[in-house]
Amino acid sequence: MTPFELVQPATLGEALALLDAEDTRPFSGGTALMLMMKAGVLRPRRLVSLQKLGLDRIEANGGLRIGAMATLRALETSAAVRSGWPVIARALRTLSNVRVRNVATVGGALAHADPHMDLPPLLAALGARLLVSGRSGERSLPVEELYAGYLETTLKRGELVTRIEVPPMGKSSGAYLKCTTRSADDWPAVGVAVVLGDENRIFVSAATDRPTRLEDEASIEKLKIEGDSHGSAQYKKQLLRVYLKRAMDEARNASR
Amino acid sequence: MRREIRFRLNGEAVSAQVAPHESLVEVLRDSFGLSGARESCGQGLCGCCTVLVDGTAVSGCLYLATLAENAEVSTIEGGVGLDAVQEAFIEASAFQCGFCTPGFVLMTRQLLDEHPDPDDNTIKHYLSGNLCRCAAYPEIIEAVKLAAQKRRKR
Amino acid sequence: MKRATHPAETAQVGRSVPRLESWLKVTGRAEYVHNLRLPGMLYGKIFRSTVAHGRIKRIDVAAAQALAGVYKVITSREIRDVVPDPYYGPAFHDQPILATDKVRYVGEPVAVVLASDPHVAEEAVHLIEAEYEELPAVYDEVEAMTSKAIVHDALKPAGTFPDLKHLKGRKNTNIALDFRLRRGDLPAALKRADHVFEHRFRTQQVMHTPLEPLVSVAESTESSLTIHTASQSPSFVRIEIARLLGWPENRVRVRVPFLGGGFGAKLYIKLEALVAVLSLITRRPVKIALSMEEQFFTITKHASTFRIKSAVTRDGRIVARDCEVWWNGGAYADIGPRVTQKSGFTAPGPYDIENVSIDSYALYTNLPPAGALRGFGIPQLVWAYESHTDLIARELGLDPIEFRRRNLLREGRPQATGTPMKDAALEKVLARLEALMDWKTPLERGAGSIRRGRGIAIGFKACIANTTSLAAVNVNADGSCTVYTSCVDMGQGSDTAMAQIAAEVLQIPAESVTVVHSDTDVTPFDMATLGSRSLFHSGNAVKLAAQDALNKLNQLKEELKLSADTAIADVFRKKYGMRAGSVTGTGNFIPPYTPPDENGQTANATPFWMVGASGVEIEVDTETGRVRVTRLVNVADVGTPINPKIVETQLSGAAIMQLGFTLFEKMLFDADGQLRNASLAEYKIPGFLDLPKSITNEAVTSEQTNGPFGGKGVGETATFSVSPAIANAIHDAIGVRLTELPMNPETVWKKLHAA
Repeated sequence: MTPFELVQPATLGEALALLDAEDTRPFSGGTALMLMMKAGVLRPRRLVSLQKLGLDRIEANGGLRIGAMATLRALETSAAVRSGWPVIARALRTLSNVRVRNVATVGGALAHADPHMDLPPLLAALGARLLVSGRSGERSLPVEELYAGYLETTLKRGELVTRIEVPPMGKSSGAYLKCTTRSADDWPAVGVAVVLGDENRIFVSAATDRPTRLEDEASIEKLKIEGDSHGSAQYKKQLLRVYLKRAMDEARNASR
Repeated sequence: MRREIRFRLNGEAVSAQVAPHESLVEVLRDSFGLSGARESCGQGLCGCCTVLVDGTAVSGCLYLATLAENAEVSTIEGGVGLDAVQEAFIEASAFQCGFCTPGFVLMTRQLLDEHPDPDDNTIKHYLSGNLCRCAAYPEIIEAVKLAAQKRRKR
Repeated sequence: MKRATHPAETAQVGRSVPRLESWLKVTGRAEYVHNLRLPGMLYGKIFRSTVAHGRIKRIDVAAAQALAGVYKVITSREIRDVVPDPYYGPAFHDQPILATDKVRYVGEPVAVVLASDPHVAEEAVHLIEAEYEELPAVYDEVEAMTSKAIVHDALKPAGTFPDLKHLKGRKNTNIALDFRLRRGDLPAALKRADHVFEHRFRTQQVMHTPLEPLVSVAESTESSLTIHTASQSPSFVRIEIARLLGWPENRVRVRVPFLGGGFGAKLYIKLEALVAVLSLITRRPVKIALSMEEQFFTITKHASTFRIKSAVTRDGRIVARDCEVWWNGGAYADIGPRVTQKSGFTAPGPYDIENVSIDSYALYTNLPPAGALRGFGIPQLVWAYESHTDLIARELGLDPIEFRRRNLLREGRPQATGTPMKDAALEKVLARLEALMDWKTPLERGAGSIRRGRGIAIGFKACIANTTSLAAVNVNADGSCTVYTSCVDMGQGSDTAMAQIAAEVLQIPAESVTVVHSDTDVTPFDMATLGSRSLFHSGNAVKLAAQDALNKLNQLKEELKLSADTAIADVFRKKYGMRAGSVTGTGNFIPPYTPPDENGQTANATPFWMVGASGVEIEVDTETGRVRVTRLVNVADVGTPINPKIVETQLSGAAIMQLGFTLFEKMLFDADGQLRNASLAEYKIPGFLDLPKSITNEAVTSEQTNGPFGGKGVGETATFSVSPAIANAIHDAIGVRLTELPMNPETVWKKLHAA
């Protein structure tokens, strides 16, 4: 790993100022970042830790407010999440492993923009919105608008995801299913998130370069699918057909 | 670029000179001679590098040592004598080459803290992030259940 | 607490003694070279080739050398100052310590950066530049037979295999070895056959991925060298390093503590020659520890193609079998030639076949080298012959088990080499598998999108011959016992087994025995810990040594006119006037062997056979092609189990490992020979969630008459039959036959929907 400087600002303002610079990256849980730095894919000169910014609260007050620095494990074990958004807790159970979930953060998981990840399509299906903070102010956007492509977000330099807001589920129910094609515990070949409610929201992941909304089953055929080591494009299409059906069934049978 | 950090290691107050890019596993090995946590896959997938920081299991090979400042760090070398989990691993023959074993012991302790009477499914999911190439998996499941029993008796 | 001198109350063999090193492993205190640090040590990081085949035009290390903290950058030039002929290998001296004029695969070591901070060394590696004149490359084993892309300009067989001498200097070929076996009259038998069946099967390149990646440390004086290495073959390392340096063996010391897994990866020379020379150049200890990723560029398992043809009579007797096997050896031969020959001769399977022809070829290609991986070529062969045999049974409308039973080799019958079968409980294993699988009860196959099926397979292996093990056993002044063996415990429990064997002879508790780990200054020669040979060979040597010690003690009692039941401590006190002295027994063991003639025929091909059968019940999700093994049954002939629990866990572990090779593991290369998945994130190995719902492992009652207390090896046995059992079950479930590994969901689904 190339040597770097690690700074730990105490306020969001400080952090944003530091981030508006070359060769600088935010550091949340660090799991994905460390992997990329060890592989030599990223070589920042400075890392800005977000740990001291107090962004780790999870609160439910009608809707769910998740601080971007809340760990995946905190989300998984939160009583509020388990009762109000159990589909999230269920999905987290098979997200990577316990050690990673202990350290990785919700904001980091979203901002990494790896299309194989579980949270982005699920939060998008739940209609979640992000709060993005930058030096010039804050803006809110739906989760799915964070993504520009493979490992690419629409964040400008110096911007950070600071909060995720998930609307109450009410009478909706949801399911997230993923299909792995090598060992059982693996990045998925396809992921399908379904939330059935006043409107049905369906998002697919892993088969596409970013979480992609599906209007209905038929629109699978129009998707631009990426083949990779998990499966060819043709096979992933088949998996999407199968897993969409299964996710719909599971969502119908779930209470939330 | 090195900076002194203070923390507690297996219950003892310690300090170490660390560079920002050094991982917790490296510092434990190089500054304290503790090699129970080992970097194997280097990607947080195998669990050989498991270390506890403030009571939470982390992948030591991906954890910057700097971030352990003021924390409570626990490794397999902590404690005296064998606990219920270690005894159970021996009785159930739940290891072969032993390289992954410290990671399994630490994760099993965490598992049993959270689920004192886990079924096979819970065990498999909780420990899915620990790999064993010797594939002692069936014996490990038995060891976890045996350890749960032993803990209940104590 | 160990009880040193109390006599044993029960038998020591046949007892599930907990592993001697248990405390060390559960407390994280077991010693692995992975953890070794020495004062003044330099870390070496390797710069590797980025082309699959090319002449080296230029290596520019200036920028790397200039980086602050870099001690030195070494290329082949500096290596050749110390070792003018820097080529090694167990069968061919074809592998350079660092690439000399050519590179032959992507990832081949070209240079090394030395620094006391491994991060600095790694940074510096990125600053090295190399230029290659690219040459045409070949990757497929069958294509390599006739390809114009020639990996080695001339073949260089080593002296270790007398039967490879005729290959020396051969040019213009990628065929490192062709093994030939002929028995009976195949062409005639094919002509008059009632039925002829022919199929072709393939397997993929995979990697052992021991969790302790390969690692070696060397330290030197002006006249001696100590190599601490994670190696299964310390004696060989000593011999080979001494040969390379032109030094006497007693100046090279090789030390091996525990291994964090081996599985055949840590054999012969891997990093040892490199660290040895680097240590001599720098006069400092040098450590090279590979990352998990780098292991994929070091040693792998042979991909293979196997064409198999059988002539079968109307009533289901196999009268002829024609086998042609191509082994993809990668860029350097490593132990491939032995795989080609010694496993090659079992290619027709454990069947009584009068007319046999085998052609088994070791091919060079521009891929990472292939060598020994648990099973040593047998899993690839069984994959083919047990799939083929099952297809024949189906075609003839015969029950798969009944068809095999009709053709199985019986005791005393000649195997394809002509060697009469002895102590191979093939029938018993098959019968036990049949019972455990409840084979006579029909299986509910299901009518929905989930289909069920079951399959079985049986395979065997000849232990390689002929090999030597020596051992020493000390009985100390207080009667306690120390065993000295260069057998390496890599998790298969050999320390415990050797202790049990010595303890049984001396009638003391196995737990009280100390086993000294490989240190070639102390522990005697052992060929290597591989191919499931150690329980038999090292075990026999330890048994002989313990017996020798016992004899010496008895002689001492006679000499001192003491009664036979005198306590050992009293014997020594009488002899030496105080508690002093010891008795050292030695044992050396090399079983008889007859080398094969030019038709591969010999009366004594092997000291023992291993037999392993597996049965599976599976579910196939026909919508996705995913195969789930719901039940896995492994039955083996391991002779008399010395430690029943260890035997059980060896069967279980081997079978689960083989599941990975069967269902999803595969090294993926692009068109330029570049490996795309060299990490555990992209090369997935079995985890908890891949376990079959139920696994049963059993050893049948049998005895290996020439084995120590009737025992023989078990480490590889359950790798043999898992893959074909699953293919046979898939065929049973959905009527589709897969002939290539791995059988991942997409390949199953594609085949199902092409049908």
